[in-house]
Amino acid sequence: MTTELPSDIKPTSSKILLEKPSSDWLPPGLALQKVDERIMTLNVGPQHPGSGHMRLIVQIDGDYIVACDPDPGYVHRGEEKMAEYRNYITNIPHLERPVIHDSCNILYPYVLGVEELLGIEVPERAKYVRVIAAELNRCIYIMYWLAIYGIFLGHSTMFMWPTGDRELLIDLMEKMTGARVTHSHFIPGGVRNDLPSNFEDVCLRQVNYFEKRIKEYAAVFYDNPILISRTQNTGVLSRQDAIRLGVTGSVLRASGIDFDVRKKEPYDVYDELDIQSIVMKEGDAYARSKIPWLDMLDSCNIIRQALQKMPKSGSVRVKLKPNPKGKGFDTVYKRVESGRGSLGCYIVSDGKPEPYRLKLSVPSFRNLIALPYLLKGEKLGNMPSVYWSLNYWPVEADR
Amino acid sequence: MGTATGIIRALNSGIKHLAVKRFTLRYPEEKLKFVGDGYQFDPSTGVGIAGLKGRHLLFHDKCTGCQLCSIACEGVAEAIAMVKVPEEHKHNKKAIMPQIDYGKCVFCGLCVDACPFYALYMTNDYELSSFSKEGLIYTPAQLQVKPNVAQDSEIIITSRGASHG
Repeated sequence: MTTELPSDIKPTSSKILLEKPSSDWLPPGLALQKVDERIMTLNVGPQHPGSGHMRLIVQIDGDYIVACDPDPGYVHRGEEKMAEYRNYITNIPHLERPVIHDSCNILYPYVLGVEELLGIEVPERAKYVRVIAAELNRCIYIMYWLAIYGIFLGHSTMFMWPTGDRELLIDLMEKMTGARVTHSHFIPGGVRNDLPSNFEDVCLRQVNYFEKRIKEYAAVFYDNPILISRTQNTGVLSRQDAIRLGVTGSVLRASGIDFDVRKKEPYDVYDELDIQSIVMKEGDAYARSKIPWLDMLDSCNIIRQALQKMPKSGSVRVKLKPNPKGKGFDTVYKRVESGRGSLGCYIVSDGKPEPYRLKLSVPSFRNLIALPYLLKGEKLGNMPSVYWSLNYWPVEADR
Repeated sequence: MGTATGIIRALNSGIKHLAVKRFTLRYPEEKLKFVGDGYQFDPSTGVGIAGLKGRHLLFHDKCTGCQLCSIACEGVAEAIAMVKVPEEHKHNKKAIMPQIDYGKCVFCGLCVDACPFYALYMTNDYELSSFSKEGLIYTPAQLQVKPNVAQDSEIIITSRGASHG
């Protein structure tokens, strides 16, 4: 299968991705290539702490990267196939496994889709509880991402602080759902349990303190001249390329495109809340690393608004029949804004308790596509900062 | 802002933290306090009650051996097996009750949601480590025991920062 590529941006990746696999096809990295004395091939990963559960095949000329070929798939679990053998309720615990620290947001499109298939209307209070849980989870995800970004750049303070402050929100999620990660909290028809008593006050107090803490990161990390010199003007993704490569989330917004699913296609009660979608024009690694941090400040605002507007009492869950099933053949596609970008879920139902087909469209995989284009001509030392600024989670990309 | 000023500001914000309280929880001596007595499910309203999803608690006088918890676990972890119990109950003619393998359990709590008789709860007990794989399998008799947990540490936020106390 030949992929149509924009004419003016040339791929730096090896030919394997673009050419039709022939009979003597070999997996990436194993194919024999013409020896060039100047070019050296480096395998970064899959067991390297600088790449996650994947391999980056990097070709370098001296200190400069000539080509980069990301090779994901080491942690493929077959989530989509597994979903075809489980009913709509027992799908919940395993579908959140790809991103255990953003588990509410990966369940969100699935739950919204199943609700449309079953024709359920969710109670108002449940919608607000879901928004609060999703925003808290977004912050938990970004803090984890930021900690790893810090340690990738050798900034160990930025590893310690977010890991510690993340505990404030994990504690809230634990009170709310009963689990620190993998909450299994969202369910078609609402949420599993109501908020504990006194949750609103505790949440407000801890979110306010959390916001105060993350504002301190500016002096130590984002205004730090060392970080700026390492990330500014490295891996620049222009506005046109961002659209053509189909990146999403913070990577898209760092290139100057105002696209946030929460704002453009509001789901649940996001249309009643005031959401700023933060946009920066630079498109470099610095902008891509700063946008998630600004997103967290915005998330704190959304949580406060949701706590204020939430109905103080009421039902949080619609009682489902045992083995809920859709009405005949039906398809549904829903997408939400996760911590990494727009996350879609496509469900095909054939009227049985199990989905006929379930497809996750994950932001991590879409953002990874930009990596070969961004790394061409960069120094090898800049690879970690560009790679992790793509807001990428290997396990989610592999599903 | 010059490079030197920026670096000094960064160092300064780190030095300020000498006066900030330690946030770390000293785990085996201190334990986090959780809301409630663990995750429960009210079958009459169909809504759960917030709490930690820890080790299960089984009420022998309520369990009817209907196997709904085991069926709920089938697609998730297959951790629940129905085993024979020696005792005789009028409502449990088959005399079978769930036995849970915590080597497989993912603590999602869907078995608690499935129980229509309010017989299966979850508790605040999360320290389940064992020297053998068999030690992780909890029989109905072990699940009946109410855990004795001393958890009292909470997050306290003062002007000197957050800490566990």
